[in-house]
Amino acid sequence: MTGVWLLGMVRRRPGRLIGTAVGIALAVALLASLGSFLAHAKATMTSRAVRGVTVDWQVQVHSGANVPGVAQAVRSTAGVRAMDTVGFARTSGLAATTAGSTQTTGAGVVLGLPADYRTAFPGELRTLVGTDSGVLLAQQTAANLHAAPGDTISIGRAGRAPVSVRVAGVVDLPQADSLFQTVGAPAGSQPSAPPDNVVLLPSPLWSQVFAPLAAARPDLVSTQIHVGLDHRLPSDPASAYTRVVASAHNLEARAAGAAQVGDNLAAALGAARQDAAYAQVLFVFLGLPGALLAGLLTATLAASGATRRRAEQALLRARGATAAQLMRLAGIEAGVTGVLGAAVGLGAAAVVGQVAFGSAAFGTTASSAAVWSGASAVIGLLIAAAAVLAPARRALRQETVSAGRSAVGALHYPAWARYGLDAGALIVAGLVFTATSRNGYQIVLAPEGVPTISVSYWAFLGPALLWLGGGLLAWRLADGALGRGRPVLARALRPFTQRLSGVVAGGMSRQRRPLVRAIVLLGLAVCFAVSTATFNATYRKQAEADAQLTNGADVTVTEPPGSSAGPDAARTLSAISGVKAVEPIQHRFAYVGTDLQDLYGVRPNTIRHVTALQDAYFRGGTAAALMARLGAQPDSILVSAETVKDFQLHPGDTLNLRLVDNRTHQQRAVPFHYAGIVAEFPTAPKDSFFVANADYVARMSGSNAVGAFLVDTGGRNTGAVARRIQSTLGSAAQVTDISTVRTTVGSSLTAVDLAGLTRVELAFALVLAAAAGGLVLALGLAERRRSFAILAALGARRRHLRSFIASETLVLTVGGLAVGIAIGWVLSDMLVKVLTGVFDPPPSAVTVPWTYLTGVALIAVATLAAVTAVAVRAVSKPAINVLREL
Amino acid sequence: MTALLTTTDLVTCAGVARTFGTGPTAVVAVHDVTCSVSRTTRAALTGSSGSGKSTLLHLLAGLDTPTAGTVNWPGLGGHPLARPGRIGVVFQGPSLLPALTVAENVALPMLLDDSDSLGDSTERDAHARALEALTVLGIADLHPRLPEELSGGQAQRVAVARVLAARPALILADEPTGQLDHETAATVIGALLTASDELDAALVVSTHDPLIAARLPEQWVMRDGSMIESREAGR
Repeated sequence: MTGVWLLGMVRRRPGRLIGTAVGIALAVALLASLGSFLAHAKATMTSRAVRGVTVDWQVQVHSGANVPGVAQAVRSTAGVRAMDTVGFARTSGLAATTAGSTQTTGAGVVLGLPADYRTAFPGELRTLVGTDSGVLLAQQTAANLHAAPGDTISIGRAGRAPVSVRVAGVVDLPQADSLFQTVGAPAGSQPSAPPDNVVLLPSPLWSQVFAPLAAARPDLVSTQIHVGLDHRLPSDPASAYTRVVASAHNLEARAAGAAQVGDNLAAALGAARQDAAYAQVLFVFLGLPGALLAGLLTATLAASGATRRRAEQALLRARGATAAQLMRLAGIEAGVTGVLGAAVGLGAAAVVGQVAFGSAAFGTTASSAAVWSGASAVIGLLIAAAAVLAPARRALRQETVSAGRSAVGALHYPAWARYGLDAGALIVAGLVFTATSRNGYQIVLAPEGVPTISVSYWAFLGPALLWLGGGLLAWRLADGALGRGRPVLARALRPFTQRLSGVVAGGMSRQRRPLVRAIVLLGLAVCFAVSTATFNATYRKQAEADAQLTNGADVTVTEPPGSSAGPDAARTLSAISGVKAVEPIQHRFAYVGTDLQDLYGVRPNTIRHVTALQDAYFRGGTAAALMARLGAQPDSILVSAETVKDFQLHPGDTLNLRLVDNRTHQQRAVPFHYAGIVAEFPTAPKDSFFVANADYVARMSGSNAVGAFLVDTGGRNTGAVARRIQSTLGSAAQVTDISTVRTTVGSSLTAVDLAGLTRVELAFALVLAAAAGGLVLALGLAERRRSFAILAALGARRRHLRSFIASETLVLTVGGLAVGIAIGWVLSDMLVKVLTGVFDPPPSAVTVPWTYLTGVALIAVATLAAVTAVAVRAVSKPAINVLREL
Repeated sequence: MTALLTTTDLVTCAGVARTFGTGPTAVVAVHDVTCSVSRTTRAALTGSSGSGKSTLLHLLAGLDTPTAGTVNWPGLGGHPLARPGRIGVVFQGPSLLPALTVAENVALPMLLDDSDSLGDSTERDAHARALEALTVLGIADLHPRLPEELSGGQAQRVAVARVLAARPALILADEPTGQLDHETAATVIGALLTASDELDAALVVSTHDPLIAARLPEQWVMRDGSMIESREAGR
């Protein structure tokens, strides 16, 4: 019997089987693709985090401890690739006499580096001018001392005579923050700022200079062992983090209190594991709704044949089939569609993985591939069971044979509607969202030094309940509109159906439940597309803003230290092909109290022509308003929130900064007036800084020297323009372009993988929107081909049949799009707010991708129109095989 | 075997055949049938199950296309599908649209016929005529019900009412009394005969029931797809 049934099903109901299998395949493909993304993303995050670290461990040898002993302990640690002993000494001050004037600095740090340090730890130092070896000055120190290669500086030693050395080069220290970290600082403490003055000496010279000081003042001299580790780590950042931390702890235990590890690698992996947690959250927030939607689509497709299936079951029961036999037949249908859907879905996911991530495997290891493909296939089978078996079981338990043969039946309100589950879900969604917002939308917490990460998945409840409540409310509204609103519907359809409008509206109203389900499903598919696309567009815009913040503009030309190039130098740049506009930015250092901060002098009226200033960067006014204030009141200044707090500033307060006066080369107090708060600014660091009017700064400091030129290329050919500028200016100026910066800035989540996720999700959203409308409509119409055959036999012409079918299509299209746009709009806003931690910088408003969304709407409408056209054509002639049954 | 062809013929069949499928499994449902139907035709089409009665009715209604021979509708102005409302068909099985009420089902052919004289107030007039037809068949009280709320016999009477309400020139009824008791069957046949007289419409009824067949003046007998006999009652 089962074989005959299966064969009959394949021959007579291929549409139903294929439709259900397609829905399952979509769910499986989406889950497997996103799983592949997640595994791939985590692996990339790990390798990216590890690549950015040059010195993995800075092993601080405690004062008085045996350095060779600690070195031996380090050497015997598994995975150590390179190690060098580095001396740290505090200098009381530096001095240099150049061009007849003497410059002195405050305290600083003098490092002693072995000869092979650059080879062992490439990237730790970057030579700006002069040679790679010998006595090297940090960039800012060279600027403070007005020193250049060939000049002589003196290094102060507490209680001893200073030592003079000849400068061989000036270097940049890209990893200064970690290099000068306080090893063993308590977890969660503020990172200490790197010293303002740094000199690097070859190890032998350093030992010679500081050996006497080490004997007299051991508190001023210390030793670190810098370690490079083997970077073959587990692909998951959290696992890699745990392994590295455990290894460091092991070393500390073996050193028996003689050393402490400054774990830069773990710090980088700690940040990556936070990004990995966010990737996981994105998977939950953006991926699962899609899979759920595909499941709903499957259930709806299966339900489109429910009337016929119930009638068949009723017939079989009337002929004596037992409940067990009927369940077995339903099980066969579920099994066939489930296996077929899972197989097709996994195949599709492999193709998607190949196209989007360059790998057809569902993960980076065999085990993760097995887990993801297996889990996705199991979910596909569960969906098949829920969509086919569950309704069959329910029908068997609850329905009589005659009720089973009913095609229209009494339309009872479901229990959820009677108890107001839709309203309840929406209210709870609002409450959860409010609670999440009070928490500052902190949904991922990765405490420093703690192996476990806390992800607040309950924040997912807000959007999830909004989605659920919105869908149910849409069901209630659509059901009400098609039920009680039948007279209105008839009037609305009259232009298309003319005197058939009453009959068409009546038929649609009495058989409205499949149409209502189709409307809700199309609405949720459109909502998925709207929310996903809006989130991704907002994310992309903020990532671009991040790149702009870091680089400053399309191309940025940073002048070397000590350069006196003024704003007029912009003319040279403007003449270069591809350059649309050039904007000079001054860069100074200014003291507020004892705190040294960066000061940026800008031209308020023109700065916005070359770089995007978002309102979210400022507080106390919009970007435009604050720039206007800087222009109108040249002594206005924008400061960081921290400075406002530290110095208790109120708008209009005078803020005296100490700037170096170029005329006297001495610091002088310059009065500014506090005008607003700046949190982010192009080229500025993440910590505190000032933004002021360039003309005022130039007048008060006696120098209009420019720190950097921001170059606008209109966003095109930034790399080529940067190369042309570099060849024009020579190697002295540092030229960076935004396309290079884009791949290096931001979190690992930003730069590496979201593009692939975006492509996958947007493609699935498009397919789901088309499938939700087209497939459901097509199968619904196919199930009613008998009715259309009767209509045709009664003399209905093509236009009559078109009016019946197109009316349904029209109601489905208008209803589905309205539902999708309404829920999608609210959900997008909520998602962007709840996931604010993913964005850097946080967005001030969502970005709506109109082009993509218009495309989704057009494709959904085109699919529905195509289905309608095909259906009208198919039913225009009475189907003789159907008529023979009449 | 056949009626003479005249210019008043509504439908003419000449050497008509209908074969389903091809090759060794092909089934010849109708074979070399020549016949005509005029406005005065009141014929009972009889024959055993599988003799080709339903197929011939479908061919006469223009719902099916012959595989050999020709079917023409000279008295109807062309193919019936191009001129809806000219032929009314009562099907053997359930043929009501499940989502429409009884009244809507009966009114439907009138609403689909653009050539009628109902004018702009068609929906109301069509419903009035639908109620009239339901009253003739004694089932006016069923008008607000859905087809699934009817018994098989009630549904068949509604299908007959649907044909009568449309006032066609030719009524083709395929076993219209198959699911009815004798009394109701007699009522239905009576209604069909009365309607065909009043409308000046031809009537061809396929039936197994000799009592029903006897109420019609002409007898067309089919066997194995061929029309073996065509005679007037009593001859």
